[in-house]
Amino acid sequence: MSSQSDVRFTDFKSDKQPTWCPGCGDFGTMNGMMKALAETGNDPDNTFVVAGIGCSGKIGTYMHSYALHGVHGRALPVATGVKMARPDIEVMAAGGDGDGYSIGAGHFVHAVRRNVDMSYVVMDNRIYGLTKGQASPTSRSDFETSTTPEGPQQPPVNPLALALASGATFIAQSFASDALRHQEIIQEAIEHDGFGFVNVFSPCVTFNDVDTYDYFRDSLVDLQEDEDHDRHDYEDAKEVILDGDKEYQGVMYQNENSVPYHEQHGVTENMSEIPDGAPEDAMDLVREFY
Amino acid sequence: MAEDLNWAVGGEAGDGIDSTGKIFAQALSRAGRHVFTSKDFASRIRGGYTAYKIRTSVDNIQSVVDRLDILVALTQRTIDENLDELHEGSAIIYDGERSWEADIPEEMSAVDVPLKSLAEDAGGAIMRNIVALGAACAITGFDVEYLDEALEKRFGGKGSKIVENNKEAARLGQEYVQENYDLDLDYNLETTDNDYVLLNGNEAIGMGAIAAGCRFYAGYPITPATSIMEYLTGRIEEYGGHVVQAEDELSAINMALGGARAGARAMTATSGAGIDLMTETFGLVATSETPLVITDVQRSGPSTGMPTKQEQGDLNMALYGGHGEIPRFVVTPTSIDECFWKTIEAFNLAEKYQTPVFLVSDLAMSVTEQTFEPDAFDMDDVEIDRGKLVDEDEVEEWLDSQGRFRAHANTEDGVSPRAIPGMADGAHMSTGLEHNELGRRTEEQDVRVQQVDKRNRKVETAKEQEEWDYREFGNEDADNLVISWGSNEGALVEALDYLEDDGVDVRVISVPYIFPRPDLSDEIAAAEETIVVECNATGQFADVIEHDVLERVKRINKYTGVRFKADELAEEITEKLSQEVPAQ
Repeated sequence: MSSQSDVRFTDFKSDKQPTWCPGCGDFGTMNGMMKALAETGNDPDNTFVVAGIGCSGKIGTYMHSYALHGVHGRALPVATGVKMARPDIEVMAAGGDGDGYSIGAGHFVHAVRRNVDMSYVVMDNRIYGLTKGQASPTSRSDFETSTTPEGPQQPPVNPLALALASGATFIAQSFASDALRHQEIIQEAIEHDGFGFVNVFSPCVTFNDVDTYDYFRDSLVDLQEDEDHDRHDYEDAKEVILDGDKEYQGVMYQNENSVPYHEQHGVTENMSEIPDGAPEDAMDLVREFY
Repeated sequence: MAEDLNWAVGGEAGDGIDSTGKIFAQALSRAGRHVFTSKDFASRIRGGYTAYKIRTSVDNIQSVVDRLDILVALTQRTIDENLDELHEGSAIIYDGERSWEADIPEEMSAVDVPLKSLAEDAGGAIMRNIVALGAACAITGFDVEYLDEALEKRFGGKGSKIVENNKEAARLGQEYVQENYDLDLDYNLETTDNDYVLLNGNEAIGMGAIAAGCRFYAGYPITPATSIMEYLTGRIEEYGGHVVQAEDELSAINMALGGARAGARAMTATSGAGIDLMTETFGLVATSETPLVITDVQRSGPSTGMPTKQEQGDLNMALYGGHGEIPRFVVTPTSIDECFWKTIEAFNLAEKYQTPVFLVSDLAMSVTEQTFEPDAFDMDDVEIDRGKLVDEDEVEEWLDSQGRFRAHANTEDGVSPRAIPGMADGAHMSTGLEHNELGRRTEEQDVRVQQVDKRNRKVETAKEQEEWDYREFGNEDADNLVISWGSNEGALVEALDYLEDDGVDVRVISVPYIFPRPDLSDEIAAAEETIVVECNATGQFADVIEHDVLERVKRINKYTGVRFKADELAEEITEKLSQEVPAQ
């Protein structure tokens, strides 16, 4: 295993060339993740990345680390299992808005409230890209697609609010194109003691002509520049998260008293290490039944 | 045949039926008597009819029978539900002071005991069931001191006052019957010096899991699998493990998969619709070559079916569930002690062959408490085989020319090296997509074929290297062959006694592996008659066997929701033997 000093972010890059469309936001999202992992002292051999299904899910292939590319929507349960069995391993889950807020929405709520010490990066492009352009749970209500010719006609999911309502201890949003800020925010999510959730605006240049790079560049408000916003203040968080008029980037909320799952439940062992036979005192288990 | 006593307590859910029965079972076990229990219960928290039944003998017993000798009835329905099993020598203990008027057939002994009043005398009405246990001791001549031991075990944690009150309640019940009844019933319960342990199949699975090194369990509560999770909770932590209650079964199996990818021996268990949800992930487990034990404690289906009733209806699901073609093992323990050993074997198979292992149990085994000699679970006999888990030196042998770990290397036996997180140079991705040796997605035809063949080759390797034997009972040379899987074994073994009395010669083969499975061609060819016994309507195992041997077999199927009973099964076998073989 390499020591912190000689890990470069390119160590997290596999030799597989991404097949994402040229200009896809996922390139920037992934770069930020790799840099943040390297910057926080991790290396590929002690990092586990769990990827969902969809364009975003391909990230497990393009990064180099221990990784699992699983079933649609179930990245968070897999990541939860990895971290519980191996508290010594850095765990990061990544997926798209469909993966996380539609088919995996139930897992999202419970992973948030469980507060397992890991990071979760959602590459939110507000569209189903890999299946060639259908509405996603974050698509705008009037966004016309092949399956919603009039638009979904239902409000998009507000993932930040969903996280807040589920008891999140770290809620952030970033923009794939703002490389430095994106990396910083992911880094903070990794360093957070608990479930570090980052919704990343990761534009789809092929199927979404509304939520574009230009749109986010023009509309994003960076909370870092808002001196009145206190990330440790729940009311402040609520205000920006429920603000339907603006799009924000930055850390909306961080609970200073976050106690991660493994500390709460005393899950500290490396569970891969077991004896060659039954545990020494295992006959006690039998005697219990006298 | 065992000189046995059949005892039951029944009432409404919420009446403490289960704990009352368990206390009596424990007392009998303490007295060195064998115990085999069963439960009638409904899927509700209060009300309805529920009963805990105990068959006890100084000889080993492993089945329920159609007879009830002593019944503690807290409701009239308890009597009505059991009329078929009661006989003229039966005694029914009831509380005549309660509001319902007991309607007890004349030929039986009605033992009216003021359970509630006596319990109040002992310190509280809540102990009325314990008064009834004392009364049962009086009827059977069973030493109430064994009951004291069971009460100490049950209530010891609640303080000596509670224990003493309960002992007093038992004494009052015993004395009341001794003073007021002179029953001419010949139930004299012998005791022995044997020390037995008393446990059910789910406890055996849980204990087996810990013994096998399982350290991570993820599950979602569902009857009748939940008690595995409950057993592990509070115990697995002592060994550095953890149990997590997931939000649903989709999550539970994926959490367990995550734990296994991280290097832990991991398990999930479910039943009914839970296994349907988990089916989504079966293919991923196999394709990513993850060692995982998936336990299905079968209950009556389909859909919500009869959630608290017995059935063996999930065999086809275990064999074929999931889209695509999924290499897997299907292990089906045939008794409670085998639940322990087969669980350990399931973990070894999973890690040796890096593929899902279905441990298929059933409701009857999961709720039945049975006595065993403690060394039936001798922990010194537990062997752990972690397969091709590589160490720091070995990992280097499996790197390609560019230093990348070949996690899905195309080996001769089909089994690839396995590196777990933290192992230097072992980093790799695994995926549900078809992939090459490195775990990278591919749709190249030759690689696809290579990887499919490699994964299937693991099963072929296992067929050669492991023993897929069966358990055998009765007369090996008999013309009549009866084949069974799962929990029917005990009833079949006891049915042999009845059959022998009737002069019917039978060989019983009990199969604990359905895939891969023992080849029964010779055995079936040698028999004149073959009957396959199972708790389902369509004969799923019989279908499999007919497919194997290309010959019709006779079938005994039970899908009433109640397990086979030894005497009933003996009659059915005799009847079936006289019938024609179904048309080809």
